[in-house]
Amino acid sequence: MAEVILTNVRKTYGAVVAVEDLSLSIADHEFVVFVGPSGCGKSTTLRMIAGLEDTTRGTISIGSRVVNGLQPKDRDIAMVFQNYALYQHMSVYDNLAFGLRNRRVPAAQIDAAVRHAARTLSIETLLERRPRQLSGGQQQRVALGRCIVRNPKVFLFDEPLSNLDAQLRGQMRLEIKELRQRVPTTSVFVTHDQVEAMTLGDRIVVMKDGLMQQVGSPLELYRRPVNRFVASFIGSPAMNFFDVHVTAVPMGFRLSADGIDLELPQRRFAGLGAHAGRAVTIGVRPQHLRLGCTQVDQVGLSGQVMVTEQLGDEQVLAVRVGAGDIRVAGIDPELSLPTGTRINVAVPMDNLHLFDAASGVAIR
Amino acid sequence: MSTIEAIQAPRSRYFFEALAPGGRRAFFLLGTVATCLLFAFPVFWLVLTSLRPGYAVYYVHRGSDFTLDNFREVLSQEIVLKALWNSFAIATLATVLSLGVTATSGYMLSRFRGTIPTAWFGAIYVFRCVPYVSWVLPLYFVTRAMGIFDTYWGLLLPHVAVHICFFSWIMKGFFDGIDPSMEYAAMIDGCSRWGAFLRVALPAAVPGLTALAVLCWLYTWNEFLFALILTAQNTPILTVVMAQFVHELGMEWHLMSATAVLALGPALIVTIFGQKYVIRGLKI
Ligand SMILES: Nc1ncnc2c1ncn2[C@@H]1O[C@H](COP(=O)(O)OP(=O)(O)OP(=O)(O)O)[C@@H](O)[C@H]1O
Ligand SMILES: [Mg+2]
Repeated sequence: MAEVILTNVRKTYGAVVAVEDLSLSIADHEFVVFVGPSGCGKSTTLRMIAGLEDTTRGTISIGSRVVNGLQPKDRDIAMVFQNYALYQHMSVYDNLAFGLRNRRVPAAQIDAAVRHAARTLSIETLLERRPRQLSGGQQQRVALGRCIVRNPKVFLFDEPLSNLDAQLRGQMRLEIKELRQRVPTTSVFVTHDQVEAMTLGDRIVVMKDGLMQQVGSPLELYRRPVNRFVASFIGSPAMNFFDVHVTAVPMGFRLSADGIDLELPQRRFAGLGAHAGRAVTIGVRPQHLRLGCTQVDQVGLSGQVMVTEQLGDEQVLAVRVGAGDIRVAGIDPELSLPTGTRINVAVPMDNLHLFDAASGVAIR
Repeated sequence: MSTIEAIQAPRSRYFFEALAPGGRRAFFLLGTVATCLLFAFPVFWLVLTSLRPGYAVYYVHRGSDFTLDNFREVLSQEIVLKALWNSFAIATLATVLSLGVTATSGYMLSRFRGTIPTAWFGAIYVFRCVPYVSWVLPLYFVTRAMGIFDTYWGLLLPHVAVHICFFSWIMKGFFDGIDPSMEYAAMIDGCSRWGAFLRVALPAAVPGLTALAVLCWLYTWNEFLFALILTAQNTPILTVVMAQFVHELGMEWHLMSATAVLALGPALIVTIFGQKYVIRGLKI
C-alpha cells in the first residue's frame, strides 16, 4: 500500500508563495496529474513529495509514513525529469543499475532486474550505449526504465514529454499508459498540457498561482468546472466566454449584451436568482455549438463568420457575435462559409456554463 | 558612384588574390610561419646556447663546437637535482590540493545559496582584486611566524590559496553548465547530497577538471616570485635556481640555458599531452 497524502502543505521562497495550503490524498495505484500554467507550483509540489525541497508547513506521508524529514533516497520513490537527467558518463546499463547498486542489491539480481526493465521498454539493444548516443525518445525510455527497475512505491513525473516532438509525445503517452497497466504504481504526473492530463490521469489536479483550483476525474473537470479558470484550461479549443447582464423576467432570466439576448428558464437556472441585476460570464465549449436555429432546450446566437480553419475532419469557425469572437468547432468540412456569412448557432442549455463575472466561481 | 562601389567591393574581398594567383594562401602561410618563428626562435636560441661551451655563448653564430657538458655540469650540481624534484613535487601537490578544494568550492558556489556561499564568494572576489604580487611580502612574514618558511608547506599553501581564488570561478562555470537534475536523480536513486556530488557531478566535470589540472600544474611549475621570496637553501625551486646562475661573478648563460632546457622538458610533455583536454575542457 502506498497512498500519498498531502496535508495543508505550503511552500514559500522568501516572499514568493509557490504552493498554498494544498491538501490531497492520492490512493494506492492511482495516477494523478497536476496541471496548470507555468509557475503555478506543480514542480514545487512534486519536488516536495520527492524530498528535493522542504515543506514550509504541512505534512507529506507516503504509505502511511510521514516523510517530512526524510532524505529523497529514503522515501522509496522514483522520478522522471523533463530533460531525462540521465547520468552522462555511464552506459545505459549502468544508468539502470545505479539505484540498485546504491542499495547493495546482489549483482545477479541487478542484472535480472535491468534486463527485465530493458525488455519491458524495448531498449535491450541500447544497453551498452551512452545517453549522448540516444534519441530523445530512447533517452525518455531509459529514464522510465531507471524508475521501474527499482520497483518504488511512487513514480513522480515532471513534464517528461515536453521535450519530445508532437508525434513522439503522442506515442510516449500511450507507452506510459501501457506501462501503468503492466507496472501498476501510485503515480504523480506534472504537465502543463491539458491533453496529457485528460488522457493519462485517473484524477486531475488543476493549479493556479500555488492554489489548487479543482480535483476530479477528467470528465468531471470537463463537465463541471468549478470556476472560469478550470473551464478555460481544460478542453481544446478553449471555451468561449462572454459577459452578459442578468435581469429577472417572469419564469426566468434574461441574459443580454451587445448582440446577445438569451432567455433561461427559472427552474433550471435557479442559481442565477442571486445574480439578477448583475453581470455574469457565460461559457460555451466550441464543440457544443451547432449551426442552425434554436430548438427545444437550446439557446441561440447569431453572428458573422470571420475566419474558417480547415482541419480536414472538421472546420473551426471564428464567429463575431456582438463585439467579441466565439469559436465554433465540429463544422462539416465540406461546408463553404465565406467570410461575412451570417449564421445562427445554437447550444443545448445543459452545456451552458455560468460564472460569476467578478470572482469567476461557477453558478450552479 | 554605384559602379565604383560595385568594382571596389569584390576588390577588397579578394585583395590578396588580386596581387597574384593563390596570394591569399601564400599570405596566410607566411603569416603562420612568421608567428611560429616569433615564438619558436627564443626556444631555439635557448637550446642552441645550452649546447655551446661557456666561452662560446656570446658568439653563438660563430664556431661549430657543440657539447653536452653544460647538462653534465648542471646535473652534477646537487641543488639542481633537488630543485627539479622539488618543483615537480610542489607543482603536483599544489595541483592535487587546489583541485580538491576548487572542485568543492566551485560546486558550492554553483549550487548553494545562503550566507556561507555568499561570504566565500565575497572573500574570493576581494582576494582576486588585489594584485597577487602584493601578497608576497606579507606571506613571507606569515610563513616565518608560522615556522613553515622554506618548507613545502610554506610554498604550497600560498600557491593553493592563489589557485583557489582564481580557479573557483572557472570551476563554478563548469558546474553551472552541468544540469543539476542529474544530481537530483542520483539523490532519489539512493545517494546522499555528498554522494551525488562525488558520483555524478564530479565525473561529469572531469573534462573541465583535467583542463584546470594542466593549467594549474604548468602555472606552479613556471611560477617564480613566490618561489623566490618564500624559499631559501632548504627548498630550492627550479625557477629560482635557474636565476642564480646570474651572480656577482658574472652570468653563466650556458648553464642557465641548460637548466632552462631541463625545465622545459616536463612542461612540454604536460602541454603536449594536456592540450587536447584543455581545449575540450574549456569548450564546455
Ligand atoms: N528555488 C526557487 N527560488 C525562488 N522561487 C522559486 C524557486 N523555485 C520555484 N520558485 C517559484 O515558485 C513558483 C512555482 O514554481 P514551479 O517550479 O513549481 O512552477 P511550475 O508550475 O513547475 O512551472 P513550469 O510549468 O514552468 O515548470 C514560481 O513562481 C517560481 O518562480
Ligand atoms: Mg515545472
